[in-house]
Amino acid sequence: MSGALWAVTSLLALAAFLVRVAGLSAGERIRASRQAWILDDLPGLIVVSLVASSLTGQPLPTWIAAGVALGIAIMTNHVIATMALGVVAFAGLKWLGV
Amino acid sequence: MTHGMKVGALAILPLALGAAVYGFAFGLLAAQVGFPWWGVGLMSASVHAGSSQIVAVEQFASTGAVLGAVFAGAALNLRYVGIVASLSEVLNGLSLWKKLVAIHVTGDENWALTMAERAKSPDVGAKFLLGSGMVMISVWTTSTALGAVIGAVLPNLERFGLGFAFTAAFIAMARGLWRGRSQALAWSVAAGATIAVVSLGAPKAYGIVAGAICGLVAIYLVRRAKEATR
Repeated sequence: MSGALWAVTSLLALAAFLVRVAGLSAGERIRASRQAWILDDLPGLIVVSLVASSLTGQPLPTWIAAGVALGIAIMTNHVIATMALGVVAFAGLKWLGV
Repeated sequence: MTHGMKVGALAILPLALGAAVYGFAFGLLAAQVGFPWWGVGLMSASVHAGSSQIVAVEQFASTGAVLGAVFAGAALNLRYVGIVASLSEVLNGLSLWKKLVAIHVTGDENWALTMAERAKSPDVGAKFLLGSGMVMISVWTTSTALGAVIGAVLPNLERFGLGFAFTAAFIAMARGLWRGRSQALAWSVAAGATIAVVSLGAPKAYGIVAGAICGLVAIYLVRRAKEATR
């Protein structure tokens, strides 16, 4: 492996780890502060943002399949069931040519 | 392996198998840039951040600049400041080295699953995170190394809805984190801001950071308004 590839790997590993350590430090400071509410609300906001980023720019069938998945999630509150039935809905819509 | 770790390891398996397909694809990309299979595995084990690795390798392939590639990859990982910060309660009480291992094996999937399961059952904690994280990093490392060797023979699984499987899984995890209508405004703001930022052409990772920050600002403003009316 060339020196440049070693450099990319080692520097990226260091940077990725430092970002995580910064999060660890920030979390402990926030938990001990008056702004501890941030830690309760952050997970939901990040997950919702992850979903929104996945759906941005996607065609209508993907949004419909997401709506179906949301309905399944509300009914079951189960990750694997939502994942499996959501993919079935997505594939079904594609097969129907929606 | 303790019971909690085993539960986490088993719970994450379907998502880990899905991530393996992306791992194969990344391994193939990295091999084409010049990484040997063991170099790809080394990068995956030491960085453990899929989107960052993909962007860094792509940048390096197109520009040949080491620092530019590292900066682009690291910047995409900034959401982990928030992700790891939110684990503060989960990691509380662990020794420092266990905390460092836990944050290294934390990825989007096992973090979100841990938080969603913890919302249902407070017993779910660091062991679940570690068990699921160990599986994720093992599968990611193995699949990327294998992809560098045999990735070219893999069919395009995107057309079977593989990408949507992750979206559906995260929708279910959001459902698990839903505590009631009081969250509706902030979640709408976060989703709207993310869509706006990504629609403007920014990478998805930046959209996620922007969405989470806007959601937090919305909650802060609502709290301030409530305090002012008391």
